[in-house]
Amino acid sequence: MLTEVRKSLKLMLYYLKFNISSAMEYRTSFLIQCFGMMLNNSAFIFFWWILFNNVNTIGGYTFRDEMMLWAISSTSFGICFITFGNISNITRMILNGELDTYLLQPRDPLMNIVCSKTEVSAWGDTLYGIIMFFLIRGFDMKGFMLFLLFCVTGGLILACVRISFHALSFYSGNVEGLAHLVTDFLITFGIYPKGIFTGVVKFIIYTVIPTAFIVHIPAEIIMQFSIVRLLGVLAVTLLWIVIAYVMFYRGLKKYESGNLIISKL
Amino acid sequence: MSIIKVGNLCKTFKVKTKDEGLKGSLRSIFSPSFRDIQAVNNISFEVEKGEILAFIGPNGAGKSTTIKMMTGILQPSSGTIQVLGLDPTKQRKELSYKIGTVFGQKSQLWFHLPPLDSFNLLGSIYEIDKVKLKKRIDFLKEVFEIEELMDVPVRKLSLGQRIRCEIAASILHEPEIIFLDEPTIGLDVVVKQNIRELILRLNREEKTTIFLTSHDAGDIEQLCKRAIIINHGEVVLNESIKKLKHDYLNKKVISIKYNEPVNVEKGDLNILKHKADSLKVQVDTSKQDIEEVLEKLIKLGKVDDIVISDPPLEEIISFIYRQSKEGGIDEMV
Repeated sequence: MLTEVRKSLKLMLYYLKFNISSAMEYRTSFLIQCFGMMLNNSAFIFFWWILFNNVNTIGGYTFRDEMMLWAISSTSFGICFITFGNISNITRMILNGELDTYLLQPRDPLMNIVCSKTEVSAWGDTLYGIIMFFLIRGFDMKGFMLFLLFCVTGGLILACVRISFHALSFYSGNVEGLAHLVTDFLITFGIYPKGIFTGVVKFIIYTVIPTAFIVHIPAEIIMQFSIVRLLGVLAVTLLWIVIAYVMFYRGLKKYESGNLIISKL
Repeated sequence: MSIIKVGNLCKTFKVKTKDEGLKGSLRSIFSPSFRDIQAVNNISFEVEKGEILAFIGPNGAGKSTTIKMMTGILQPSSGTIQVLGLDPTKQRKELSYKIGTVFGQKSQLWFHLPPLDSFNLLGSIYEIDKVKLKKRIDFLKEVFEIEELMDVPVRKLSLGQRIRCEIAASILHEPEIIFLDEPTIGLDVVVKQNIRELILRLNREEKTTIFLTSHDAGDIEQLCKRAIIINHGEVVLNESIKKLKHDYLNKKVISIKYNEPVNVEKGDLNILKHKADSLKVQVDTSKQDIEEVLEKLIKLGKVDDIVISDPPLEEIISFIYRQSKEGGIDEMV
């Protein structure tokens, strides 16, 4: 088991290096996409700044708290899309029978598939979140270590939720629309103060769209450390990893392949 | 020694069906209907170590489905498969170290990167020691003549160059069996010939067992000693190429060039072409004695040249396909 994890991490790192060199083939496009994404995210600061100039708090959050949500969301999202950049294509790959080449290799197919591509603009998101953290917290190294840990757990939960929804394609055909909607929800719910969510929506952000564990609770732990809550986040991360693996591998038994002409891009 | 054993293998796909048009689409949302398609139906065969086997059949016959089950991509509905003593369904990962695959339609090279980068990544995936990997790449560069292509992004390679790199990539880990699914699809005659020579060299020098599917009779004729023909998911023939030709070649074409113009009485001869001093006759050896026909033709005049030819393998295969569709292989008509 541990050997498998070590092998998977090694493969992940190799793919990361490999994908960066692939992205560098189009260096100008890489830089434009990175900085374009940072610029795009920065525009939202002004929106929130104007809003918080008119009200002191929203759902119990100050401007700084809100910016912390943005920092964690952005870097988690970035880590997810840099490391597991191929998740968005899982449904299409299942339906078109594109998993074949991965199934023929002696590696864990899920890791092999999701790590084999990177989303270039996600580098901009990652960098944006880090810069934002230092702007809010100053040079707080303990806070930064926690921030990095939560961006990793956040990235993992994001990835696992998206994999689980894409894996539904094995059972019920094309769920690309639903999977994209879930990704949008994961981002949208994460950038608003937790206090504004009540009732059913509150239930949702703790369960199927677990933004509470990706962004809100981590932001609270950075502000006020709690070991119990930290362990809670780690446990939820582990739970989602198990769910994603079970969903994917159960579904894989129903995989029907296909005969489309395919290139690895 | 058999290294592939397939017994009573079946694969059924469940396919959603719907009536025509928007109405049919709406109806299928509320009451979906499904149909079972038997892609592979109770096939059994064995492959010996070091053999080059042609696994052929028309489109939709079940060739790719069978290969996908043998390599662990698809799960069989029933039946048994053993490849190199392993069960592909349960031991896919162990098996993948020992087999190589080339699907003419699916690339394992990264489109935007040079082949060398893909080779290095594959080396890491197959856990090949760095020094050994470098040696292997150097060897493949020489054998496949891809030295100058190694640093060119795959998107800039021609189809023939790409296929050479694809095959090299698939044997990087020195597999014992290589599954080639239509490797020469879309290639010109010269490149096809190159690829065939490479496959033969692999078989000869590395003792690699080759399991080949192709629609190209040239591939089969030049590479394979035995052919398994499948149609509608069933094995319709499992013969050596030599026997296949012998059994189904009951028609010969005799072409004669005479020294001077000759007159021919049709009689029982099936004349395909007659032009002054040249004559082409078809003989059905199941009905006529070829010696008698030859004697008759030689008596017509002084012979300059004579050629007796078989129908092309393509014709034989297409005949077998047609016969199996009609429900039996009897004799070539």
